[in-house]
Amino acid sequence: MKLTDQALLTETRRQFFGRGARGLGSLALFSLLNESASAATAGKPAFGGLPGLPHFAPKAKRAIYLHMLGAPPQMELFDYKPGMEKWFDKDLPESIRKGQRLTTMTAGQTRFPIAPSVFKFKQYGQNGTWISDLLPYTAKMVDDMAIIRTMHTDAINHEPAVTFLQTGFMIAGKPCIGSWISYGLGSMNQSLPTFVVMNATHSNPKANVQAISARLWSSGFLSGQYSGVALRSGGDPVLYIGNPEGVPTKVRRRMLDALGEMNEIQAKQIADPETQVRISQYEMAFRMQTSVPDLTDISKEPESTFKLYGEDARKGGTFANCCLMARRMMERDVRFVQVYHRGWDVHGLLPEVLPSQCKDVDQGSYALVQDLKARGLLDDTLVIWGGEFGRTIYSQGKLTPTDYGRDHHPRCFSIWMAGGGIKGGVVHGETDEFSYNVVKDPVHVRDFQATILNRFGIDDARFTFKFQGLDQKLTGTEKKAIVVKDILA
Amino acid sequence: MRNTLRRAFLAVGTVSFTCMLAFAADAAGDAPVNFQRQVRPILSDNCFLCHGPDQGTRMADLRLDIRTGAFATRKDGVVIVPGKPEESLLIKRVFAEKAAMRMPPAFSHKTLTQEQKDILRRWVAQGAPWKDHWAFVAPVRPALPDVKDTKWSRNPIDRFILAKLEANGLAPAPEASRRTLIRRVTLDLIGLPPTPAEVEAFVKDTSPDAYEKVVDRLLSSPHYGEQRAHYWLDAARYADTQGLHIDNYREMWPYRDWVINAFNKNLPFDKFTIYQLAGDLLPNATLDQKIASGFQRCNVTTNEGGSIPAEVDAMYAKDRADTMGTTWLGLTVGCATCHDHKFDPISQKDYYSLTSFFRNTTQYALDGNVSDTPPVVVVPRSEDRKSWDELTARRHELLNTLSGIGTGQSNAAFEKWLQSSSRKRAAKFPLASSQLLAVNLEKDAALVRRGHQKGLTLPAAVTLGEGPSGLGKALVFSKETEVSLANVPEIDTDKPFTIAMWVWLPRDDQGLVFARQKDSKKEGDSSKDWGWTIGVERYNTEPQVPTIHLNGADGKSLTARPSADYALKAKKWYHLTFSYDGSRNRKGLAIYIDGSLVPSYGDGSDFPPLESSIRATSPVILGTKDKEGFDQGAIADFRILNRRVDELDAKQLYEADALQVAAKQKVPDLTATGRQALLTYYTAQVDSAGKKAASELHKVDAQRMEIALRGSTTFVQQERTDTQPMAHVLYRGLYDQMREEVHPNVPSVLPPMPASVPKNRLGLAEWLVEPSNPLTSRVTVNRYWQQVFGTGIVKTAGDFGSQGEPPSNAELLDWLAVEFRESGWDMKHMFRLLVTSAAYRQSAESTPLKLERDLDNRLISRGPRFRMDAEMVRDYALASSGLLAPKLGGPSVKPYQPPHIWDAVAMDNSNTRFYKADTGDKLYRRSLYTFWKRSAPPPSMDIFNAPSREVCVVSRERTNTPLQALVTMNDPQFVEAARVLAQKALLSSQSDLNGEVNYLANHLMARDLDGKEKDIVGRSYQDFLAYYQSAPQDAEKLISVGETKADPSVPAPRLAALTMVANELLNLDEVLAK
Repeated sequence: MKLTDQALLTETRRQFFGRGARGLGSLALFSLLNESASAATAGKPAFGGLPGLPHFAPKAKRAIYLHMLGAPPQMELFDYKPGMEKWFDKDLPESIRKGQRLTTMTAGQTRFPIAPSVFKFKQYGQNGTWISDLLPYTAKMVDDMAIIRTMHTDAINHEPAVTFLQTGFMIAGKPCIGSWISYGLGSMNQSLPTFVVMNATHSNPKANVQAISARLWSSGFLSGQYSGVALRSGGDPVLYIGNPEGVPTKVRRRMLDALGEMNEIQAKQIADPETQVRISQYEMAFRMQTSVPDLTDISKEPESTFKLYGEDARKGGTFANCCLMARRMMERDVRFVQVYHRGWDVHGLLPEVLPSQCKDVDQGSYALVQDLKARGLLDDTLVIWGGEFGRTIYSQGKLTPTDYGRDHHPRCFSIWMAGGGIKGGVVHGETDEFSYNVVKDPVHVRDFQATILNRFGIDDARFTFKFQGLDQKLTGTEKKAIVVKDILA
Repeated sequence: MRNTLRRAFLAVGTVSFTCMLAFAADAAGDAPVNFQRQVRPILSDNCFLCHGPDQGTRMADLRLDIRTGAFATRKDGVVIVPGKPEESLLIKRVFAEKAAMRMPPAFSHKTLTQEQKDILRRWVAQGAPWKDHWAFVAPVRPALPDVKDTKWSRNPIDRFILAKLEANGLAPAPEASRRTLIRRVTLDLIGLPPTPAEVEAFVKDTSPDAYEKVVDRLLSSPHYGEQRAHYWLDAARYADTQGLHIDNYREMWPYRDWVINAFNKNLPFDKFTIYQLAGDLLPNATLDQKIASGFQRCNVTTNEGGSIPAEVDAMYAKDRADTMGTTWLGLTVGCATCHDHKFDPISQKDYYSLTSFFRNTTQYALDGNVSDTPPVVVVPRSEDRKSWDELTARRHELLNTLSGIGTGQSNAAFEKWLQSSSRKRAAKFPLASSQLLAVNLEKDAALVRRGHQKGLTLPAAVTLGEGPSGLGKALVFSKETEVSLANVPEIDTDKPFTIAMWVWLPRDDQGLVFARQKDSKKEGDSSKDWGWTIGVERYNTEPQVPTIHLNGADGKSLTARPSADYALKAKKWYHLTFSYDGSRNRKGLAIYIDGSLVPSYGDGSDFPPLESSIRATSPVILGTKDKEGFDQGAIADFRILNRRVDELDAKQLYEADALQVAAKQKVPDLTATGRQALLTYYTAQVDSAGKKAASELHKVDAQRMEIALRGSTTFVQQERTDTQPMAHVLYRGLYDQMREEVHPNVPSVLPPMPASVPKNRLGLAEWLVEPSNPLTSRVTVNRYWQQVFGTGIVKTAGDFGSQGEPPSNAELLDWLAVEFRESGWDMKHMFRLLVTSAAYRQSAESTPLKLERDLDNRLISRGPRFRMDAEMVRDYALASSGLLAPKLGGPSVKPYQPPHIWDAVAMDNSNTRFYKADTGDKLYRRSLYTFWKRSAPPPSMDIFNAPSREVCVVSRERTNTPLQALVTMNDPQFVEAARVLAQKALLSSQSDLNGEVNYLANHLMARDLDGKEKDIVGRSYQDFLAYYQSAPQDAEKLISVGETKADPSVPAPRLAALTMVANELLNLDEVLAK
């Protein structure tokens, strides 16, 4: 064994055995070791990841998280409240609101007039689950989904709420779910990023759009290699993946060969283990240059694909296209895909804007789950759909029978999950008749996070990273998270 | 050895390599256990969570973080009995057979390894020597250790390094080659590569101080400050946008330039500290000292709809306390936000006392989405600085002159005038000559003076009520009523004007318009209107503030409004004056409330000046026909003047009513208000010195405005003067769960603030640089060490607390800390010491023994070598190709960036939604000038681990990822640099491949290639050339990357082939590593 290899192995083991993979770039190091400890239990070759993980047999190996940024109104989609019609324009009873804090957008309102949903609901599936007419495709698959109606959060505004949902903390600086999972379980392929993020376009220019930012897919205090890599619809799908114009693959390959030879000389002279790491990272980059275009090239998808996902899926950047990309990434064993769709912040014009928002995402979401199922991938792929909080039953601003808006509401909201060890045809939890407070089976954000980790075979309490002297966890250090057992398959 | 080592790795996790070596050695025998390095970390990591400083979670009333707790007698025995492990409860519980008895308990998910248990037992057996946590004891300069090799050391640093090396059976590496050395030191001191000429000069310089001369040259380079600044700006979380939500532009770069200059001027670190934490509080603070206080304004801010100001204020104070804690104290004080610190003796009360230093600010919670959220200062261009200072000083004198009139010696003259009959003239409005229009309401008649309309017919629904002074009447409105005044066509964008009035608002929860003059292109679509509007606006539940809008015919507008601190309350008379100087710039708008200028901000400053006309021909409308309208609201003494006003004018407008009354009263009947109004009048209109000063003040203000408009603004910190700093302990960190009131103080575990310093930010800053402070100096030199050697002596540069890693060389750290302080906090002195040490000058080459015993180079058994920072990687390519534009400072620039980085994430109405790259020199500025949008940082910086600048970061991560390879291979910036460098090589070497390749190598690697390397590179060149000769169109494409143009005299295939060679070399590990 060469001297540097020996040093590398020592270093690699050291990373395994406790100090975390923070110091050196380790992806390539691990690849030198072939499979990591997590590989054996996961049944898939994995690169990187922590020893001892997963803690128990995982149900999910991959996940797709479809985030509706801006917060969809639960009472218009999944949390049917037929009793509200007779409450039209009546004030929300104080016994329900209980003087809780409101955002400053409605805190100044003198009245809190109830706005019943203008949309109709029907029953679907074996359980007769009520789903809004706005989601005809989603409605068809209720037997695949577990709907949680009793999500609740600590944050009341978008920035802190989505940061909280993703990182367990309202202020930036902590790793997001995708980063935690990449860090813990490592990668299952050697030519694509482990964790990919996409930002889908929305179609209605009147939709009220919320900002997103790199902090939502940041690795926080974990190593930068666990950050989400943006897959983009315009320009290079992965930043800088394309060679400059006039540099074909064979020229790049030739350049890399010479570069490698030169770096080998340096590695021998200086014996800095980092040089070896760099050599293998350039090789990985080259593999990505081939596999990313292959991933994004949908020209060979059959017509049936576009029947399933809709014609929108042909157009880069649409939600349907992102769903198709997500499926293609699942096939290639990308570990975690995050999709953001914006425009759900319905403070006003709700009856006008919400239908187009739903139309943007409905078919794609359905197609994704069905496609994964058809390909046998749904069993070990977790799909999640939801926003960062709910919305108020009372109207923000002027209420008419045909127009209203809804303010932020942290006390309850609905999300659904499917596949990856989640029981289908389940509705979990109950809210009161105003969809205002949880009356049965509340699910806090940290419980939700713990449930996701659990499906990956991870016990959130034992999945820690030492930072600022604390054993940091996705689910925070304040209260114990409770896995939502009722929805587990 | 290796097995032992591996066990140690398994066991100890984060503890340093050095430390593990010690374990390994100790495990064999009875060597003394080091409490600080070996025992305390075990206790801290495994026990303090339940038996530490946090009384909220403390179990069994046991503390192991303090001596009295650790040696306490309890009812079941003594925790630690020195010398008797078998009698010590601690040891019994740690070694307990039964799991239920064993510590730490299973639920903690912590377990002690056999080695750790043994260490505890041996430590107790050895008498359990206890010491306070090392970092809380002020450093004392240690004696230089003895070393065997007496020749190697060049300065005291080396003695400490060598002693450690010798103790570990290692010898230093030989000195690096001159080429390596000058490259290394140039990169470390100025962040740029040396030029080939600089390299050659140094190689040839045979004088004994050749190296020191290079160091001195670099320390006096203006680029030195840039290199130091990029680290400091990480700690300061400096960026060019607000950070949250709309993430608009923020004009903050003068602070960044201040930092660069401070390093270049070698401002002593104590002053550097004081200016940034409290520059604004220094007596007669200079502009630079105020700019420096912007350190505290770099935090992310928000204006998100729905935000609750009290929550946001708490967040800002926390950020400032945490940033100060990390940057100067190296403590994670923020861990005490929700509860007492789990590991360090910092109580929640201590923490909130720290936050209180930062809560007494005039800054308002919501940033208004503007680039100049008050408090800000005007930063004149450098060529204007002198006149600005003179004008400012003169202004101060004039104001003093004005306020002195009628007092002291000049009092007699004023009294005499008061008695004189000429006083009656004051009854006439003093600014009448500038007046375009006035609505005075006397008795029952409405009268318009000097306007274009003499009489005024009031609608029936508008009545006359009591005015503010009891003299004049007021227009009282009801629903859907307004009063129309004849045209005042003189109001336009390019003309100064002033609008003043008294208003009485019926409610304090509405936004409304009470005066306007607008023309409309399209009825019912107010977005197409032009003219002006005055009213009160409120933001969500914010209180209502007076606001003026000027709307141009082209849809652009200027707006000014003060923060909610200047909100108008209901049912109370206020006098409002809105002044505009005709500059087409938002800064030319001023708002006075009751005659006093209030700081205002608003949209418009980020856009080109208001070009189009606002001139409306419609009547001026008072009140509003909206549904609710200005119901029960009142307006009195409405005036329009045809010039801008200054403070003295605004005061006269405010006092006009009172003056009218007072002018006619007998002296004994004068009220204080009346007397004051007369004095103002006398000062401005009668007294000759006063008149002269007033007229000069007007001119001085105009000149200052010209300078301000040319210059910039920057955020500063400003202390409120009407309240004292205080805070509340926030239960679980929740802003609305206020508990005990606390006042500024420092954590009790640290030396107290001296009685001589004030209990405010200034006192805090002075305390930080007191000799008794055990942390500031250590924490700072540790980061200097980290910058140069890659890892700090304390690896956890932001955590010197109980859970931080103990120093790898405690004596060296203390020596440096004392040296730093005693040198007069001389930063350049410290860098000179570091880079002239023999330790620094070693070759980076490793050996098997060194890799085994010092893998991470924490012992400095060889020279430092690690990947450059993000900024350095890019600057290296720019500098070595000659593309670099060396200009220092100025507004941030926008180099190449892939499309849709910003608009993919931005809000629709963000003014940083679309990225438009600059052109020319601005593409090639140093990376610390690259525009930093926090929600979408420059991707090539981000990929190379530059922090997001959202929170304070004091040590950068250094990973190696494939994405980085993609940047340096494919980013147009790097491709263009490779081509420009290749072209120079071709033009300089006259068709000699050898010469061309060596040209590249000398610019990129500060050396020639050796034979084998030449062969590798040469063969790749031939292959590239063959390709590009066969595909000339690809050659053209490759050499067209970037804004600069390829020299048409150079054959495209050759240039393309050599560009690929340059690209190849630019990606070498040797090039990317310093």
